[in-house]
Amino acid sequence: MAEGGCLPTMDLMRSEPMQLARLIIPIETAHRAVSYLGELGLFQFKDLNAEKSPFQRTYATQIKRCGEMARKLRFFRDQMYKADVSSSKLAYGSVITLDELEAKLGELETELIEMNANSEKLQHAYNELLEYRLVLKKMGEVFNSAQKKATTQQREQEHRRVEGSIDSPLLLEQELATDSSKHVKLGYVSGLVPRDKSLAFERILFRATRGNVFLKQDSVGEPVIDPVSGQKVEKNVFIVFHSGERAKSKVLKICDAFGANRYPFTDDIRKQQQMITEVTGKLSELKTTIDVGEHHWRNVVQTISHQFEQWKNMVKKEKSIYHTLNMLSFDVTKKCLVAEGWCPVFATNQIQKTLMQATVDSNSQIGVILEILQSKEPPPTYFCTNKFTSGFQEIVNAYGVARYQEANPGVYTIVTFPFLFAVMFGDWGHGICLFLATLVLILREKTYSSQKLGDIMEMAFGGRYIILMMSIFSIYAGFIYNECFSVPFELFGTSAYACRDSSCEDATTIGLIKVQNTYPFGLDPVWHGSRSELPFLNSLKMKMSILLGVVQMNLGIILSYYNSKFFQNGIDIWYQFIPQMIFLNSLFGYLSLLIIVKWCTGSQADLYHIMIYMFLSPMDDLEDNELFFGQKYLQLMLLFLALIAVPWMLIPKPFLLKKQHEERHQGRTYEPLGAHDDNLGPESAGGSHGGHEEFQFGEVVVHQLIHTIEFVLGSVSNTASYLRLWALSLAHSELSKVFYEKVLMLAWGYESVVILVIGIIVFVFATVGVLLVMETLSAFLHALRLHWVEFQNKFYEGNGYSFYPFSFDLIGDDEE
Amino acid sequence: MGFLLTTLIFVAIGIIASICVRICCNKGPSANLFHLTLVITATVCCWLMWAIVYLAQMNPLIVPILSESE
Repeated sequence: MAEGGCLPTMDLMRSEPMQLARLIIPIETAHRAVSYLGELGLFQFKDLNAEKSPFQRTYATQIKRCGEMARKLRFFRDQMYKADVSSSKLAYGSVITLDELEAKLGELETELIEMNANSEKLQHAYNELLEYRLVLKKMGEVFNSAQKKATTQQREQEHRRVEGSIDSPLLLEQELATDSSKHVKLGYVSGLVPRDKSLAFERILFRATRGNVFLKQDSVGEPVIDPVSGQKVEKNVFIVFHSGERAKSKVLKICDAFGANRYPFTDDIRKQQQMITEVTGKLSELKTTIDVGEHHWRNVVQTISHQFEQWKNMVKKEKSIYHTLNMLSFDVTKKCLVAEGWCPVFATNQIQKTLMQATVDSNSQIGVILEILQSKEPPPTYFCTNKFTSGFQEIVNAYGVARYQEANPGVYTIVTFPFLFAVMFGDWGHGICLFLATLVLILREKTYSSQKLGDIMEMAFGGRYIILMMSIFSIYAGFIYNECFSVPFELFGTSAYACRDSSCEDATTIGLIKVQNTYPFGLDPVWHGSRSELPFLNSLKMKMSILLGVVQMNLGIILSYYNSKFFQNGIDIWYQFIPQMIFLNSLFGYLSLLIIVKWCTGSQADLYHIMIYMFLSPMDDLEDNELFFGQKYLQLMLLFLALIAVPWMLIPKPFLLKKQHEERHQGRTYEPLGAHDDNLGPESAGGSHGGHEEFQFGEVVVHQLIHTIEFVLGSVSNTASYLRLWALSLAHSELSKVFYEKVLMLAWGYESVVILVIGIIVFVFATVGVLLVMETLSAFLHALRLHWVEFQNKFYEGNGYSFYPFSFDLIGDDEE
Repeated sequence: MGFLLTTLIFVAIGIIASICVRICCNKGPSANLFHLTLVITATVCCWLMWAIVYLAQMNPLIVPILSESE
């Protein structure tokens, strides 16, 4: 590709020259070579095994191993999270191979799983024993109190029996006697039931056994850890007395249904005491065992945390290396791997040095061969950006990545984008606020770049240099519009306007007059707050938008000229660039000229009238609307030029392209077949689009027609689209005026400190929320749209693909 | 101060800025050209905005009519 003439190439203007390279790597060096290339980060591997499924590839097992290790590391991370231990950032620890790492991870995993299972069992047993102890205590109390009552009652009965032995009938005695022997043994079931189910429990027991049970419940003061669910639940201790086997089975079933845990209980007091001491002893034993187990677990997790980051990085790297190795193809002799890929031309030496290093380090006899290939495939686009330019390049790439070696709009976007933003945002007070905010971000760059930020913060941080430029230009535009929180200042001298006479009586009816020279820098401060402010400002800003728009569109068309010159496309220069320039400038360039002449002469000509009647009745005399001598003839000539520019764009190019195509393929039909096959071979493998042998004339004509119509109609609509610069600037100044006058000044007028403070707070929140956040985003968006559509559609193709080298830095954290 | 005079001041500021940028970061011809382009573009944009606002106020068709409260 030829150079752009006598000028040296400019950084970032066109993509770095790229070349397709083939590496032939012996097998023993392969892993190390790929690893070193990953560190270097300047080689993009092509997938040579695209037809194979992931399971058919050579290193599929290795990748599976890495996947397993990644899973184990995720498990460790969960354990670390449970133990509230964070992984240390220090990457110390010995260098270990992948196999050793795998074995170690496997060991640690089994150990941790075992420990977790054990501790769970122990905890379960512990909770059960706790509940058992509660049952013993509570039921012990119940039984004791019941026992006391029973003994007192029995004594009373005996007392009565002793007293009434003669009077009472014999049958009653016998009944009493037999009654004691016929006593059915009462069985009981004791345990704990959750408190919220206790009422239902009671009711169902009552109904199921027809009221033949006696239930006593006692609530437990504090919630108890349920052994089954592991959660704290409020429970009641219960004891159910029943008679008979059927009742017992019914009670047991109901207990199970309600999830009530049952514990055995004896009514013997001595045995109760024994049980209590036994249980307490077992509880303390279990506690110590559990504590020791947890301590051990915590130690293991701590040791893991020291080396966690290192292991994670290692596994990530190895996985990516194996993925890359999978893209290489085995040579026929099965002794080396072949890699194909793109790399920048300037990096050739570095890559060769790296490969030599890999050969030396792996003690191989054979070196790696680097071969440059020729290809018709379009190379990826690579711009060497630094931290300042990368933001701007990203917003350009968001619309479309530049085709290989076409002009990069990013170069001009660095200045014009903040400038157009400032035209819509012009207020130096707000600009200073934005500037201070981004200054904070930039000064704390180092800390923020190593942290993980939220989504919005990350976008704001990534665009910090863009916002910095935007704020600097906004401060400048604010001085020009003479607005600081919508307040004008007389910074550059006194106003140029004064009253007509000393009494100033018609200042509010007819107005002031201009007595001095024009205010030297920016807008005269007298305009703010006057009644004719809006008509004047609207006219000024609309005309400014048109002028800026015409300038930017002309820049776009000129860039298309440089593109055509670079790609040596003469047809485009003569039959696209020139008619486009003529058309745009004879209409909208002429309008810009009229605007400037009207301003300079101060004439009262009506520009709408001039432009419209230039088309409707060009032969008419101009009378009042004449701005300069010979205007009518100039207009006729410009109209004529514009009219011939349209068929100039439309008609010659398809015919010339057809002739060019025929010339190129004239000698081709008599080439020997062998050469032809060679041509098709790498092309079909690469899937390029350079192999078109057909020339569809119809398609080319339609394409050119669409392009022409788009340009012609687009020139009107794009110029009008720039009026959004006026619209947003008006919105911004009106909003800030409203906040200032209706909030701050209103609060000031009340002579009360409380209202003033409230007013200030409302003013600050409104300014930050509406003007600094919403208006910034809005103006950002519209300035971006103006770049993407109105500027770039004059010259930008944007159908390339980005250079994405194999680099360890670029592999993101896909697990997090 | 006059249109031409201020335009000359803008040109002078542009030249001084390019010289400063060339002194501060001199990183080879392609980078220098890039920085020069940025400085020139910025100067032209700023001058354009100033010139438009100045020209519009030179021979005004509308005069400021003060509002009642003044």
